[in-house]
Amino acid sequence: MNSNEAVTALVEAFDRASIPYMIVGSFSSNAYGVVRSTKDADFVVPCPFADIARLVKTLGPPWRFHPQIAFESVTGTKRCLLELDDDPFHIEIFRLSDDPHDLQRFERRHQILLPNLQRPAIVPTPEDVIVTKLRWVEQAARGKDRDDVRDIITVQQELLDWNYIHHWCEQHGTRQTLDDIRSRIPPLES
Amino acid sequence: MEPTKELIDGIERDRIARARQMSPGAKFLAGGALFDDVCERMRAGIRSQFPHEDDGGVNRILKQRLTRLRQVEEHGIYHPAGTLDEQQ
Repeated sequence: MNSNEAVTALVEAFDRASIPYMIVGSFSSNAYGVVRSTKDADFVVPCPFADIARLVKTLGPPWRFHPQIAFESVTGTKRCLLELDDDPFHIEIFRLSDDPHDLQRFERRHQILLPNLQRPAIVPTPEDVIVTKLRWVEQAARGKDRDDVRDIITVQQELLDWNYIHHWCEQHGTRQTLDDIRSRIPPLES
Repeated sequence: MEPTKELIDGIERDRIARARQMSPGAKFLAGGALFDDVCERMRAGIRSQFPHEDDGGVNRILKQRLTRLRQVEEHGIYHPAGTLDEQQ
């Protein structure tokens, strides 16, 4: 099973089980920015992990629910891992938290059409990807998140709702980081 | 010889133009496909480093290496929060 087959199989399983979801992390930043390799897919779900464990049981091998749960300290949510036997690709499942922005981005999630697969996938809006990634830039200091924010802004530019982004950046204290990233984007007109 | 600013700007323009020409759905799928390609190259490197290993052994080493990379990336961000059984 390749990475995209794994993601698609899980999306189909969530749809069959009527579990709402959105795909966040690098899969969503790739959709709006510049593509980079990603070794895991991140899903957000509003249901308990026990529901996910039951769903994984119905999928059977090669799917495996990793028993260890982790606390994610940037947005204060929990994560479980789905592994595939003999496959280095991971699926990370995050529980929808009561963080106000987490709730709003889940509310605003929307479909994008996956070419050749005859099905959509559900992702956050580009504004919400930027707002979340900025929190990771600020608190986790990972260079790839900063690059993702820069690339989404550069590719989407005039399509972005800046009032919405500014609102959440003020709430999260990430406005200075946003402005710094924007100031470093060179004019690209040829 | 250092690359000129014009060259760097030109590469960046091409990178962004290519990204704008692809649909969000196509780009969504491209990251996973790139990872699959990266894994194939890593497997080739492992086979060269450990010629006695069979496919299972090569995959095991690949997973170990990626696990180490994940641990470095997640250090200080993720903390153990018990098992599913403990949380129920």
